[in-house]
Amino acid sequence: MMSETFTCGDPGALVSYLYDECTPAERRTIAAHLVICAACAEELIALGATREQLATWAPPDAQLGFSVGRDTSRSNVLRPARWWQRPMPGWAQAAAAILIFTTGLSLGALRGVTQPAGSGLQRSAAPAPGSTSVATARNDGNAAMVTRADLVAFEQRIRSEMSQSHPVGQNVTSAPADERILQRVRTMIDESEQRQRRELALRSAELVRDFDAQRNVDLARIERTLGQMDGTTGAEVAQQRQMLNYLMRVSQRGQ
Amino acid sequence: MTLTDDELVARSIRGDAESFNELITRWERPIYALAYRVIGREEDARDVCQETFLRAFRALPGFKGEAKFSSWLYRIALNLCRDWIRRQRRAPVVQMPEGVDPSEFAAERGPVESIEDLVGRRQLSAVVEEAMALLPDEQRTAIILKEYHGMTFQEIADMQGCPLSTVKTRLYQGLTVLRRHLEKNGVALNKVEGVASSKVAGQITPRLVKR
Repeated sequence: MMSETFTCGDPGALVSYLYDECTPAERRTIAAHLVICAACAEELIALGATREQLATWAPPDAQLGFSVGRDTSRSNVLRPARWWQRPMPGWAQAAAAILIFTTGLSLGALRGVTQPAGSGLQRSAAPAPGSTSVATARNDGNAAMVTRADLVAFEQRIRSEMSQSHPVGQNVTSAPADERILQRVRTMIDESEQRQRRELALRSAELVRDFDAQRNVDLARIERTLGQMDGTTGAEVAQQRQMLNYLMRVSQRGQ
Repeated sequence: MTLTDDELVARSIRGDAESFNELITRWERPIYALAYRVIGREEDARDVCQETFLRAFRALPGFKGEAKFSSWLYRIALNLCRDWIRRQRRAPVVQMPEGVDPSEFAAERGPVESIEDLVGRRQLSAVVEEAMALLPDEQRTAIILKEYHGMTFQEIADMQGCPLSTVKTRLYQGLTVLRRHLEKNGVALNKVEGVASSKVAGQITPRLVKR
């Protein structure tokens, strides 16, 4: 089927017509052809319908809002995300968590070990063997020589040693470090929960989709079965009617 | 007074960052949408979008204005998408599909749209996205530029560096594949068998029937 300037089924011409990017003369020619050619008309309708469906596909909303700074000579404007700004993969997060945990443990263990050996704190804080060594030496030698003044001096020495080995700032500095670690762990847990939530939502959406697809299939099957049943019943009725007709004819013949 | 793209470009070249910001505001959504539809990954599309403006900003002094600013941007974005696709092919990574945020999911269940409609729309959108992913890159890009960015055949031909007739063929073949896939997935496209063709000639966008 051909017209003067349009070959039936010419994809280029059909697409031009579909997107209305042809000259008025071409448009008139194709329109005239469509009146007499059902195949081309149907093709165009289907393509047009396909185009309409494409409109349902929209990108998700994203936080954009890029901008450049006032100082245009700066090269750091609109900088793409660096590797440390990108989200960490799961394995790296796990490794970081383990590293932080191990470091924390090591620090905790080291805190106990690295006290100065001769500081007296261990000895004074520890039970009998260390703390009593001075007294026992004196007891062994001359117990009567231990005066009140000695005891006071000993107490002061212990206090000064304790204050040296427990600087005031120590607790203050270790607390923020712990807080930071806790904060990181909490962040990691939050991120993990978010991932799980997303996964759950995705699975739910898939489930709904599968469920719907299955429902459609089931409905189609039921419809088919009903149709078959209708057919069967109709055939039986027809058969019975034939039988009745036959009986009537036979009985009439007998009379 | 609203300045044209060309005026904003001229100001940006003279060092007016605010003008370039205005251009970004105008074009970041379309560029992001283009990148998302070509790439299919939200986060990567955002990166491509950002990188597009970064490159444009750096290359602005060399922009001669021979093409429209938007065409120039689209070209940069498409090149970046192409690079991204090439990288993905070279080192394919099993990507975790970007799911739906539960809060977003809940928020969308507003009174205006029933759950059935929402799910239906999402399903349809997913089927379209799936069908688009089946197309060869050139066909997909041609359809995206035509359908979602309203470019002319000539602009697409310039962008893709191919003859006009090739663009039309790509569009036709792409739409045909999409149509088959949609039909296969239960999206009923309106087929009016036996309808007088004269009705069709003037109106080629029939109402759709969803099964």
